[in-house]
Amino acid sequence: MTWSKAPEHFVGEWRDGLGWYIYPTSRFKTVTMYAAWIRPLSTYDRAYGAVLPQVLKRGTEKWPTRRMMETRLEELYGASFRADVGKLGDKQLMTFHLNVVNGQFLPKKPDTVTAALDFLTEVLDHPHLVDGLFAQDVVEQEKAQVKRQIAALINDKGQYALARLIELVADGAPFGLRKWGTAEEVDAVDQASLTRFRDTVRHEAPFLFLVVGDVDVDRMAPLLQDRFGGSRGTFATVEPYRGQHHGKTVVEEENVSQGKLAFAYRTGLTAKDADYPALMMYSGILGGFSHSKLFLNVREKASLAYYAYSRLDPAVALMIVGAGIEFSHYEAARQIIEEQVEAMRRGQFSDEELAFTLKGYVNDILSEEDSPGQLIARQVERQLVGGGLSGQELIEALSRVRREDIIRVAQAVHLDTAYFLTNKGEPGHGT
Amino acid sequence: MEHKTVLWDQIGERPVRQRLHSGLEVVVLPKPGFKKTYATYATHYGSIDSHFRPPGALEPVHVPDGIAHFLEHKMYEKPEGRDVFERFAELGAYTNAYTEYTTTTFLFSATSAVDECLETLLTLVEEPYFTEENVEKEKGIIEQEIRMYWDMPGDRLRSNLMHALYHENPVRLDIAGTVDSIRTITPEDLYICYQTFYHPSNMVIFVAGDVEPDRIIDRIDQWEARRGLAPKAAIERLFPAEPPTVAQKRVEQVMPVAAPLWLMGFKDTDTGLTGDALLRRELVMSLFWQLVLGPSSPLFNDLYSQGLINERFYSHYASATTYGVSMLGGETPDPLRLEEVITSRLATEPLRDRDLERLKQKELGEFVGLFENLEDLAYAFNAYYFRGIDLASVPDLLEAITVEDLEAARQQHCQEPQRAVSIIRPAHAAPAGEGWAR
Repeated sequence: MTWSKAPEHFVGEWRDGLGWYIYPTSRFKTVTMYAAWIRPLSTYDRAYGAVLPQVLKRGTEKWPTRRMMETRLEELYGASFRADVGKLGDKQLMTFHLNVVNGQFLPKKPDTVTAALDFLTEVLDHPHLVDGLFAQDVVEQEKAQVKRQIAALINDKGQYALARLIELVADGAPFGLRKWGTAEEVDAVDQASLTRFRDTVRHEAPFLFLVVGDVDVDRMAPLLQDRFGGSRGTFATVEPYRGQHHGKTVVEEENVSQGKLAFAYRTGLTAKDADYPALMMYSGILGGFSHSKLFLNVREKASLAYYAYSRLDPAVALMIVGAGIEFSHYEAARQIIEEQVEAMRRGQFSDEELAFTLKGYVNDILSEEDSPGQLIARQVERQLVGGGLSGQELIEALSRVRREDIIRVAQAVHLDTAYFLTNKGEPGHGT
Repeated sequence: MEHKTVLWDQIGERPVRQRLHSGLEVVVLPKPGFKKTYATYATHYGSIDSHFRPPGALEPVHVPDGIAHFLEHKMYEKPEGRDVFERFAELGAYTNAYTEYTTTTFLFSATSAVDECLETLLTLVEEPYFTEENVEKEKGIIEQEIRMYWDMPGDRLRSNLMHALYHENPVRLDIAGTVDSIRTITPEDLYICYQTFYHPSNMVIFVAGDVEPDRIIDRIDQWEARRGLAPKAAIERLFPAEPPTVAQKRVEQVMPVAAPLWLMGFKDTDTGLTGDALLRRELVMSLFWQLVLGPSSPLFNDLYSQGLINERFYSHYASATTYGVSMLGGETPDPLRLEEVITSRLATEPLRDRDLERLKQKELGEFVGLFENLEDLAYAFNAYYFRGIDLASVPDLLEAITVEDLEAARQQHCQEPQRAVSIIRPAHAAPAGEGWAR
């Protein structure tokens, strides 16, 4: 069977809680499929959302053990399969990701695309059950794995600092909740409640299915509708953060060799806002690239850090500034960062900085089209934020941004919360 | 000029390659329809090349540890006071560089102005500019980079293991060196290393993208002709003799991690391979570990259902001409129990034909998939190139491997005297925030 050509962008729609979007292209040698159940993130059932993808990886009707599933993936020419819990703003996503080599590049030209879709269908619709329930030993093993995952956040100090920052900013609001839940919440999951949860999710949760690769929309779309159609609910787009802390500073201590600084600024803009391209230019000039103010001033001029950056959260209207610094340099680094933010507010950036930033974004946006994973990530983001530009449209919008637009959005960027992870016993910092 | 085109019809790729008069090898892979062009300029020079005889010199020199990585950083600085990051930014391109045990690679990724980017890449690599002042300034930045690695448990785990496996071979040291070693680096040291290792004969350019290979090669050829360099004799690299045993059986460190990390390593005793022999060795070892401890192996699944490992547990083999190491490990609640089970079963796990054939199918699929990710492809190409390996040999060599080859590798490689274990143990303290019982 062959799968043919190609408009090179996502086509698709939402209908009855199934959103399918297909990006046909002959550039790639693999076909990538992404499926996600979308749910509001809440302390009530997030632990179920964390355990379920793990358990679905442990067996299907056709391949009842983990080992048989892995064997099947190897037979599919080393297809890579992941089932994870994810988070975007106040949404929890149960995601299933499958990437398989297109059979046309293999001896005997096997139809790997249909085989991959069959595999995903098995995982999503035909899990291995014992007397109608998930097997108890499997559920307990996966609960233990999730609890370890929860504890393991501390292993990556940069990620840990960012997670703490968002938690402090949100102060209990859903977008600050961790996607796995707490150990206590995971403990409360059992085989019966998890099986019920899965039934509810499968019938009710909005379901997004994306495909990137050399496939034919006219053939793939009815297949998806046929396999995954139903009548599910809809979802509200991610709620942006409006700001409440006005510059509160939190310093915490750990046994670390390098201090991690993470600042959250509220921006008032998400990816669907008309001024968002101007905000992108703002953040790009400030800290998005190696020519940006933060990198040049914190790293190159002051030699204070190995890295220093700013990036936008397109969903919750925040800008994050991060740097890894010597403990004693906290005040100096903070001062430089605040000076650079102030410079942006006053419009102190050159035409060259503006031009470099635009070119940097054009390169990023076009390069994204060479990576199935990035195309998918951007499409998921657009779906959950409820809009926003991409590709050529975004490039054009960025090119239209004027100096005064950047200065205007800069006035609305305010430090909300500052977080510093320092070493135990280092002299006090901050306020 | 017509250049040599290699045909890989099966996977639909047609790379073009040419060795220039200066000894520089250029390889271009056309990728029609791709938006970006990805190019690397790499030298066969890495962190382990710290003892060598510069061309024409009588005495060998010993340079400070971490200097290859330091040199990589410093190449970005140019006399105009405008560093290369800025020039690439002006062109709207992304640039980066990385240093490994045996290679240093400079790269750009661009969606326009490819010719200018290529010239900038050549300038970046071909025009060193080191002064007392700019070398001093870099020390603070690299010290922060080294400290960042100190906080990465996985990085410490591997670094400690390499230290335990080797007595003398410089692969035992961190690529970035130490805070003390980099403080001693001088501009003179950097120039010696540059002149020795950044010669065209010791380097390769790889370009992949929607480009015309002949035009790219001709442009580089014209540029290089102006430098008037001729091929040079091979560099004399000096390595200390390495005893067959490990330096230390076990090494442990306490860090703020949630659960212990465990890593076992085996070092090769018969090194010195290049070309197809080295590639064959890598494929045999890779298939061996997948068969014995990969995600579809009985051992992996037994360890998983006993809760001794998670799905990120890994086992792999990495080698160059001067070293070869297997590493297997991950996070575990019980390092001793994990070690006991693995040690007792490693020698006896069955190696079956049927499983091997399936894993070859997997390797072949991954080999094809490599050609859609230009970064991974360039990485694999360069790594193979400096080991004298042709990427195109993979499918045929793979096909010829048998379970007897794997069994022989096990007998020779998985021996107690060549084995060491690295463990990171948690310091007990509950971090802040939700998710921990307080």
